[in-house]
Amino acid sequence: MRCLFCDRPIESYSLASLFLKTDELCPKCRRRLSLKRKKIPLGGFEVKTFFSYDGFFRDLLLQYKECHDEALKDVFLYGLKEYLELRYHGYHLLCIPSTGKKLEERGFDHLKEMFRLVQLKKICCLKMKEEITQEGKDLRERRKMETNYAYIGPDVDKILIADDVMTTGSTLKGAFSAVKCHAKMVKVISLAYKNITLHL
Amino acid sequence: MKCLRCNNEDPTYFYKGSKGYYCRRCIRFSRVLLEEELKSFDYQIAPDAGEYSFSYELTDTQKQISEKCLEALKKSDVLLHCVCGAGKTEITVQSIAHYLEQGYKVAYAISRKEVVIELAKRFQDIFRKAKVTAVYGGHHECLKGDLIVCTCHQLFRYYRSFDLLVIDEADAFPLKGDETLMNIALNSCRGRLIFSTATVDEQLAKILKKREVCTLKLYVRPSRKPLSVPQVICLPEAAAVFYLFRLMTLTANRCIIFVSAKRKCEQLYKIASRFFSCTYVYSDLKQRKENIAAFREKKYRFLISTTVMERGITIPEVSVIILHYDGVFDEGNLVQMLGRVGRGVGYEEGRSYLFCAYKDRQVRKTVAYLKEANSHL
Repeated sequence: MRCLFCDRPIESYSLASLFLKTDELCPKCRRRLSLKRKKIPLGGFEVKTFFSYDGFFRDLLLQYKECHDEALKDVFLYGLKEYLELRYHGYHLLCIPSTGKKLEERGFDHLKEMFRLVQLKKICCLKMKEEITQEGKDLRERRKMETNYAYIGPDVDKILIADDVMTTGSTLKGAFSAVKCHAKMVKVISLAYKNITLHL
Repeated sequence: MKCLRCNNEDPTYFYKGSKGYYCRRCIRFSRVLLEEELKSFDYQIAPDAGEYSFSYELTDTQKQISEKCLEALKKSDVLLHCVCGAGKTEITVQSIAHYLEQGYKVAYAISRKEVVIELAKRFQDIFRKAKVTAVYGGHHECLKGDLIVCTCHQLFRYYRSFDLLVIDEADAFPLKGDETLMNIALNSCRGRLIFSTATVDEQLAKILKKREVCTLKLYVRPSRKPLSVPQVICLPEAAAVFYLFRLMTLTANRCIIFVSAKRKCEQLYKIASRFFSCTYVYSDLKQRKENIAAFREKKYRFLISTTVMERGITIPEVSVIILHYDGVFDEGNLVQMLGRVGRGVGYEEGRSYLFCAYKDRQVRKTVAYLKEANSHL
């Protein structure tokens, strides 16, 4: 078996490999994907993040999202899946939707594929009012995302909103404000955070 | 199953995604589905794109090789095996012009972004009526033009597009040791290839064996001055540093000191900066450009560098000192580093020193190569 990122053969076996699914990254790459848990307050709610959006995580995510390397889908949540299942037991998982153009280009929904193995009930009740891409946009334009989401599903008890990277937090704010009236409890997670100064 | 872009046939590298099978060997250059039809780019070459003029006169030898190159391209690919500073770029100009006149697509691929920017400007001055497009990482909005100057990494954007592709420094990073990238580069060309290099390594020799290639050699620089043959000093590494400091106090010229690793570069800088006016540079260094510029402007006398400074850089009046330890440098690296000596018109003077633990194969080959090149003068 080869590492999905660096192509080196994976030979070393650790104690963890007895209990967990075999890691598709080699130990060297896995070490570079440093876990840095952080809770970031964001205007009335808290976002739990797991990685820092630094060199290696960025390379990995770019290969997955921009080079459309679907094989990397299980790499990000390796070791975190069990934690999410235990911590958010009873929650409905709601992934932030991608724009139709990106979906067509990729051929897969990158967030849904990432969280596909997490055994939580999944709902797809979030819709974008207007299809806006955020790439290369400044803070003012990104703020449009705060009012760009609508919840179109039935009310549920607990919802867990999941995203991949948090930059300014506008997307998560938009999703949270759309969802909060339809659930008693809403939690927000983002896999990684970009270390920039937030103007909250 | 075979990937059309990188020629991979190993089935373990193919992954079935939601749109079908794709090759993971070349995935860093975006996804190519197996069923996908790769297209070459359409562009109408301007009728007068091939008109060219130099602001300086080529030497007779350069003109001769240039004509031979054009002649050889009619039958086969060409390997321009020229010494550092022989004017490889100028030699290819006549062939490029000929292809542009015929309305064929031409590209010039080179390893580094900085060199692409510099070279695109130079080509624009030579081909005044052609649209010269520079393509490199972070600058690929416009991919079409009469003459494309790009980094080797960007060739994946052009599948079987070029009738003439010049691959400069074909034995260097990033093509060195990267079979995938080399295959992508070869697949971007549907016509003739010109490989231009100062040294031929094993990987390049393998490729040349498979193709029909005419080799043209040029051992003489336009200045007709000999290449600098280094004074080889065999010393253990710790002792070499003391000898190096002694040399640094004695040399009157400015000097580039090559070391094998970033860590060593920093360590040597820490010690040497206490006694000498020096700066340092390696690939990841944030103030890399500033340090090189300061050295060019003669603010410092010594520049401690890794291999990042070995190619495509002309700084007049420098000597070179190489610390060849750890077996990192091969013949190609050494020849290129020593090629920094005596560049620039009117500044052909300069000396070179090579420190090593013992005269290994690479050192012997380098010295033999330089001596052989000088014997043709």
